[in-house]
Amino acid sequence: MAALEVRDLQTHFFTREGVVRAVDGVSFSVDRGQTLGIVGESGCGKSVTALSIMGLIPKPPAKIVGGEVQWEGRELTTLSERQLEDVRGHEIAMIFQDPMTSLNPTLTIGTQIKETLRRHLDISKDAARKRAIELLDEVGIPKPESRLDDYPHRLSGGMRQRAMIAIAISCNPELLIADEPTTALDVTVQAQVLDLLEELQASHEMAMILITHDMGVIAESADDVVVMYAGQIVEQAPVQELFDHPEHPYTEALLGALPQIDDASGRNQRLTAIRGRPPDLIDPPKACRFAARCPHASSGDSCATHMPELREIRPGHFVRSQHPASERAGKRVEVTA
Amino acid sequence: MATPARSAAEHAPLVVSPTAETMAGAPIRQRNLWQDAWFRYIRNRAAVAAGVVFLIVLAYCLIFPLVSPYDPYDVEFSDARQNPSLAHPLGTDAFGRDLLTRTALGGRVSIGIGFAATLVILAIGVAYGSISGFIGGHLDNAMMRALDALYGLPYLPFAIITLAILGNAGFWTMVIALSIASWLTTARIVRGQMITLKENDYIRAARSVGARWHRILLRHLLPNTLGVLVIAVFLELPGVILGEAFLSFIGLGISPPEASWGSMAQEGYKNYRVFPLLIVIPSVAIATLILCANFIADGLRDALDPRTRET
Repeated sequence: MAALEVRDLQTHFFTREGVVRAVDGVSFSVDRGQTLGIVGESGCGKSVTALSIMGLIPKPPAKIVGGEVQWEGRELTTLSERQLEDVRGHEIAMIFQDPMTSLNPTLTIGTQIKETLRRHLDISKDAARKRAIELLDEVGIPKPESRLDDYPHRLSGGMRQRAMIAIAISCNPELLIADEPTTALDVTVQAQVLDLLEELQASHEMAMILITHDMGVIAESADDVVVMYAGQIVEQAPVQELFDHPEHPYTEALLGALPQIDDASGRNQRLTAIRGRPPDLIDPPKACRFAARCPHASSGDSCATHMPELREIRPGHFVRSQHPASERAGKRVEVTA
Repeated sequence: MATPARSAAEHAPLVVSPTAETMAGAPIRQRNLWQDAWFRYIRNRAAVAAGVVFLIVLAYCLIFPLVSPYDPYDVEFSDARQNPSLAHPLGTDAFGRDLLTRTALGGRVSIGIGFAATLVILAIGVAYGSISGFIGGHLDNAMMRALDALYGLPYLPFAIITLAILGNAGFWTMVIALSIASWLTTARIVRGQMITLKENDYIRAARSVGARWHRILLRHLLPNTLGVLVIAVFLELPGVILGEAFLSFIGLGISPPEASWGSMAQEGYKNYRVFPLLIVIPSVAIATLILCANFIADGLRDALDPRTRET
C-alpha cells in the first residue's frame, strides 16, 4: 500500500455566494521515494488539495466534505487538530510558494529551525543548534553557523527558500509537499532549488508531492503526474507517458503553451494560448468542465451534457475526456480515408 | 529612503538589503528592526525634540523634589502668592509652597497615573483584542459586538461613576477609573493586527510544522504587534493624562494636600483673577506633556511603520 492515498477528496468553500467546489473528487497515491507532480492553472485546486492533506485549509469557510486521506494506514481527515499537529512537520512537511513571506521576520533563521526540532524531537538546546547548523549546511547555505543568528531579511529569496526547506526536512518527514516551491524565485535559482529537492528526496527517501503550474518543472522532477482542471483530475500518468502521449485536450494545450528552444519550425512561432477561462466552481456545469474550451468537443457530444469518467485508457494512464488524443487520431484517419 | 523599509507590522520586506546577496561576504554591519527604527526616529526633528523635552520633564519631576530646598507640603503663609524670584523661580501658591517643587510633585502623580493607566489599558486591550482576533469566528463576533456596546458609554461619566463606587480617590483608584473605559480602542487595534497577521504565510508555515496555538500566538503573533503597541502607549497617554487632570480639576481625583497637575489647576482656578500664575503653570505643564506625547507617537509611527508615512 502506498504511503499516502487520497481517495475521492472533496474540499468545498462555503461562501456567501455559494459553495465553491475547489477540490471535487480527487484521488491519487504517492510512495516513498516517489515524486508526484500536480499540475494545473491557478485556481484548479492543487494548493487546496495539498492544504487538505495537511489539514491546513482555512476552516471556515473551507471544509473537507468527503473522501479519505490515508497516511500510512491512518485516516487524517478525522484526526483532531491536536493529533494533526503532531503529524505536521514530523511526518508530513510542506514548503510554500513565497519564501519572502513564509519566514517570520522577527525570529532568526536558527530560532525557527530549532523551534520545529524541539517541537517534535526530544533533544536539548545544544543538540538542536548543532542539528540546525547541519541542516543549513545540507540545504547548501554557506557559513551555516553565522547564518543561524541572522534574521530572514538578510537572506536572498533563494537562500530563504533553502532555509524553508531546512525547516521542512528538519524532523525527517516521510512526505514533503512542495507547493510551487520555485514560482517566486528567478530562473537560475529555480533549477538549483529543484535539484536540491530531488537530492534531499533521494537521501531522505521521502515521498514528495510537487505542485506547480510549470510543465518544465514537472518534466524535470516528477515520476507520476496528475493534471488538474477545475477541481478535478483530468489526466494521470507516469511522466514519460504523459509527455510522449498526452491524451486530454487540456494537457495537450498545456504542453502546446510551453516554449521550446529546439523547435525546428523556427523561433518566431507564437505560443498557443488556451482560449476561454475555467468555469465558475460555485455552480460548475454538469458537462465536462473543459468542454467550453475544448477544441474537439461539439454540442452534439455526450460530454456537453454528461461529465466523462476518469478512465484507464492505457495501463497506468487515466484520462477524463470524450476526446482523448488516441481515439481522436483514429477518427481522423476515418475522416481522411 | 536610504535604509530598507522594515517594520514589525511588515511581513514582507519589500526591499532586500543590498548586503543580503553577499551570503559569504565579509562581516557586514548588522542592523535589526529596532536599530532601523531608531535611525528613522532620530531623523525626525520634531519627534527628537519632543522626546528630549519629555525626558527633561520626566527627570525634573523625578529628581527635583529630592534636591529642592523647599518641602512641597510645608505651609508658610508669609510667603504666599509670591511672583517668580530667584528664591522661587515659579513663585509660590496660596499657602506659600514653592511652585517649582510642587509642580514636579504634581507631575510625578500625573505622569505616573498616565503611564500606569496606559499600561493597564494595554494589558486589557491586548488580552481582549488578541483573543478575539486570534480565535475569530463566532467568539470574535460576540466580543466585538460587546465592544460596540461599551463604546456607547461615554468615557468620563464612566470614570466618574467608577470613582464614586470605589470611594476615596488615590493613585490606583484613579488608574482603574481612567483605564476601565479606555481600553476599547486598543483592543480594536490589536484585534485588527491579529487578523491581518494571522493570514501571513509564516503563520501558515509555522502551523505546517506543527506549532501549537499558544506558540503561534505568543511567539509569532504578539511580537509582531509590538511596534503598534509602542505607538499605542504614546497615543493613549495624552488622553489619560488629560482625563486625570480633568477629574482632579473637578475635585474627583487627587485631592490636596497631594498634588497633581489637575488639582493644582483647580486650586489656581479659585483665584485666577488675583494670581493667574497658579493656573497657568499646571496648564502649560499638561499642554507640554501632551504635545510631546503626540509628537513622539507620530515619530514612532513613522519609524516603526514607514509605509504609513504620507510624504
